[in-house]
Amino acid sequence: MLEPAAIDTVGLSKTYGGKVHALVGLDLRVERGEVFGYLGPNGAGKSTTIRLLLGLIHPTAGRASVFGLDTRTNGVRARGHLGYLPGDLRLSDRLTGREQLESLASLRGSVDRALRDELCARLGVVLERPIRQLSRGNRQKIGLVQAFMHRPELVVLDEPTAGLDPLLQNEVRALLRETAAEGRTIFLSSHSLDEVQHVADRVGIIRAGRLVDVDAVESLRERALRHVTITFAEPADPSQFAGLDGVRVVSTDGAVLRLSAPEPAMDGVVKAAARYRIVDLVSQPADLEEIFLELYREGDDGG
Amino acid sequence: MAAELLRRGLSDHRRALAAWCVGIAAYVALVAAIFPSIESSPDFNKLVESYPDVLKSLFGIAAGGDVTSGAGYLDVELFSLMLPLLVLVLAIGSGARTLAGEEDAGRLELVLSYPLRRRDAVLAKGAAVAAEIVTVCVVVGIAIALLDPLVGLDLALGRLAEALGALAALGLVYGWLALAVGAAWPSRAPAIGVPAAAAAGAYLVSGLHELAGWLDPFRFLSPFWLVGSSPLQSGADARGVLVVVVAAVIVLLAGALLVERRDLETP
Ligand SMILES: Nc1ncnc2c1ncn2[C@@H]1O[C@H](COP(=O)(O)OP(=O)(O)OP(=O)(O)O)[C@@H](O)[C@H]1O
Ligand SMILES: [Mg+2]
Repeated sequence: MLEPAAIDTVGLSKTYGGKVHALVGLDLRVERGEVFGYLGPNGAGKSTTIRLLLGLIHPTAGRASVFGLDTRTNGVRARGHLGYLPGDLRLSDRLTGREQLESLASLRGSVDRALRDELCARLGVVLERPIRQLSRGNRQKIGLVQAFMHRPELVVLDEPTAGLDPLLQNEVRALLRETAAEGRTIFLSSHSLDEVQHVADRVGIIRAGRLVDVDAVESLRERALRHVTITFAEPADPSQFAGLDGVRVVSTDGAVLRLSAPEPAMDGVVKAAARYRIVDLVSQPADLEEIFLELYREGDDGG
Repeated sequence: MAAELLRRGLSDHRRALAAWCVGIAAYVALVAAIFPSIESSPDFNKLVESYPDVLKSLFGIAAGGDVTSGAGYLDVELFSLMLPLLVLVLAIGSGARTLAGEEDAGRLELVLSYPLRRRDAVLAKGAAVAAEIVTVCVVVGIAIALLDPLVGLDLALGRLAEALGALAALGLVYGWLALAVGAAWPSRAPAIGVPAAAAAGAYLVSGLHELAGWLDPFRFLSPFWLVGSSPLQSGADARGVLVVVVAAVIVLLAGALLVERRDLETP
């Protein structure tokens, strides 16, 4: 029999109060060992999906399973495989970081203490001060430690790097990559493709409760347009380039020509340019953010 | 593992609980300190007898009872209203805070994402509430027992234990009701309001059912009536106490079942 996927949802839907369709018919499979980025604008339904996976809320229709365990009927065992960082983390304010982690460890039952201490050292967790005195980022670190400290098979993170400084964001990304290298699975939500493109294998883009695209980060990159800037010795005829498939002339400024072109059209662009004397040629991959925005806009047309 | 929630619940409320214990013990001491002057004024019985019936029945002043005896005095001054009131405020506050309050504050999100059943979480928190109620009742018992020889209350210790058992049963049924309402609806306001209103109603039924005949059939629904008034003079109704405790358990179990069905509130 096929090994069950880390996450498998079929027609998963959630409607709040009979009218807010926060999630509509989500079919998603995340394989073991994968890092999956779950992207969408505010209110898209990311946290709703995650809270369904954890059994914190119940689906209106469809089902979700984690390693083959239905989150509704087998929630306790499913959660045994999970580590979770809530999007809006609330800890016990009066406890110190150490007491909070100790309490969560007892609640979990089994925790790898050596791993916990290592994580605390690595993220620089403030352990001895009451949590209410900690900054947002320092609370977030405690949340991250508790999500990883029992070496879960699947880590679900709702906007994990919110509130962290760039150095720590890097540290967290490194942690995510190492976790995936051990064959464990990561599902993380974010607003920004930029934030996940360096760690995720695949991304899903959700908008207004519907999954609008699932793709490997690599192929998203390929779809990305290049920004090409060619400086000629003397002005060239832009129509030679505009005729190429997928190429758009952005501007001509004397001898400087700006184009946007998909990867497959690059060969034609260079060959057309080669007919002239070239002073300089710069090609930059468009930020993935642009594709992302493009997809958001497409979604807008649809609904 | 859910036992951690019991530990956490007790530890989170330990300051509030300590304050309640000190406050109640001080109040008990104050009431006891007044007793010698009541005892030595035989007119006090006459004064009390001249009270309107409504007051007498609300304060559990039984016909033929003697408010200048230690037992009669404490029944009227402590066990008829003040102690149940104080214990209920503690019990309802604690029952509402430990689940509905935690959920309102968004702190249940992380706890319930751990591999434990929600119903076990409710039961563990119920155990913490019960432990707080028992602690307060034990403190009251110790305070009264220590003061007894000092001011000459001359109580029967068995009766005192019965009175405290009845008091704890009252705390339990309303504390667990608060917890169960919080388990069924994700908000602290009804978790406080429902048991508070239920307790106020039950208290009136118990106190006034003899005067207002139409209330009489409802007295069986009143925990206050079931456990019996004036427990130090005539003892608590053991069967009534048992009924109240069983009702409390049923309420708690209902809460434990209802919590599984609903969505956890978004923090
Ligand atoms: N308890 C609730 N009751 C009613 N509506 C809700 C509830 N929780 C979420 N919603 C609505 O469901 C939709 C999806 O919300 P969700 O929190 O899943 O979005 P999100 O993608 O996580 O957004 P963000 O990026 O802002 O965190 C939103 O329109 C939100 O207002
Ligand atoms: Mg969210």
